[in-house]
Amino acid sequence: MLDRVDVPSDLNAALETLAGCRAGAILSGGTLLMPEINTRATGLTTLVSLKKLDLAGISVSGTRVTIGATTTLDAFGRDERLALLKPVVESIASPPVRNMASVAGNLFAAQPYGDLAVALLALDAEVEIAGPKGKRQAPVSEIVKKGVAADEIVTALTFDLPDGGSWFYAKTMRRNTNSAAIVCVAARVQVEGGVVKSASIALGGAGPRPLRVPSVEAALVGKPLDAESVTAAAAKFEADCEPFTDAYASAWYRTRVIPVHIRRALVGA
Amino acid sequence: MASRIVTLLVNGTPQEVIVRPGTTLVSVLRDQLELTGTKRGCADGSCGACSVVVDGKAVRSCLIPAETVDEAEVTTVEGITPVGGLGPLQEALVEGFATQCGFCNSGMLMVATALIAENPDPSDADIMRAISGNVCRCTGYHPIIRAIRDAAAKMRGAQQIAAE
Ligand SMILES: Cc1cc2nc3c(=O)[nH]c(=O)nc-3n(C[C@H](O)[C@H](O)[C@H](O)COP(=O)(O)OP(=O)(O)OC[C@H]3O[C@@H](n4cnc5c(N)ncnc54)[C@H](O)[C@@H]3O)c2cc1C
Repeated sequence: MLDRVDVPSDLNAALETLAGCRAGAILSGGTLLMPEINTRATGLTTLVSLKKLDLAGISVSGTRVTIGATTTLDAFGRDERLALLKPVVESIASPPVRNMASVAGNLFAAQPYGDLAVALLALDAEVEIAGPKGKRQAPVSEIVKKGVAADEIVTALTFDLPDGGSWFYAKTMRRNTNSAAIVCVAARVQVEGGVVKSASIALGGAGPRPLRVPSVEAALVGKPLDAESVTAAAAKFEADCEPFTDAYASAWYRTRVIPVHIRRALVGA
Repeated sequence: MASRIVTLLVNGTPQEVIVRPGTTLVSVLRDQLELTGTKRGCADGSCGACSVVVDGKAVRSCLIPAETVDEAEVTTVEGITPVGGLGPLQEALVEGFATQCGFCNSGMLMVATALIAENPDPSDADIMRAISGNVCRCTGYHPIIRAIRDAAAKMRGAQQIAAE
């Protein structure tokens, strides 16, 4: 049972509380953690809210974007400089949830949630983390796989904004709004001289966490970005994926449609 | 276990409550302030029945520990209900058969209130997006969308008259 909910205004105080408590958790927007607390015995004794830490905000310098950890999905979606990524944010939950949900919290969402994490994975985002031993940086791929230590706080995310022609995002849901992904595809594909020069393709709904599909990426490089070569490359997805069954779709179904959705995301048909 | 004093401005009235750690905003509103218009639904954010407006934004009151909204401004369905009558959104819900069992109404009303405050002339698509996280098991949603659209038009008309 909770015996303490702190709302510190100083990062060091937050880190100290986390390090010193028996069973603590970071509370950001609360849209994942509070349902847990409301509906089962979590064993947590302490919550450390990030709300007053001044970690919200977006800065853009050239193409480099830095987003503070507690920036809400709503604020992200409203920033015109990030308009290219607005469809990612708008595919997540509903406005009242987006008014609460934070960017960093999305990195820790269990599949099939974590749509922003899928996009950040395709963008090779870097995660800034503060801990008792100081600051560190880690690629988002490492954070979605291993998380952070219990006494660490994600403070910001950075990535390069793609240009319009090289960015692809498609989330397939059972409803048009407010539903978890059957499959979510985010990709940055750069074409030069008529062939793919580099491809980073990330999927949601394809495994226990957001994942990249290096086999598909490698098969696409050097080929034209058309239906034929994308179909051939997408067929290699199984080496990298572990599709699962949940209330939205079966593993069998996801396995059937993952290559289809990769193709639709990249070439539209 | 240290209880805390939390100060809120609820529907324009300053309120001070003592909360045990992790008490949610919906509990404060219903159990301590007796504002039972806000409904307790799924407790996991997916039904929308507990939606209220905090500092201008529609949020889920079941997912907010009260300590984290100390000094916030909270509007509940009681705050948009005139003494002895109904507000324009509520009237439109009644007139448009957009209320049956009534359980979703206060949540729908609060997300609609936040929507119209920001966008006085919402399209049906805007309304659909705004209420997409609020579940109604009676009406089939279309009457609710129409009612919000009608109320928004009425509110724009009233504002125009006031301005003239
Ligand atoms: C009805 C509903 C629908 C949803 N639909 C979607 C959807 O379609 N797609 C989707 O991706 N998500 C969805 N979500 C999940 C959720 O809203 C998002 O994933 C959100 O971004 C989580 O962020 P949060 O700030 O609310 O997380 P919190 O609940 O505050 O935290 C989640 C976890 O991350 C940890 N954490 C949070 N911030 C930090 C930090 N800075 N450093 C270290 N650890 C941290 C917390 O300790 C906790 O374990 C939905 C949620 C609800 C309630």
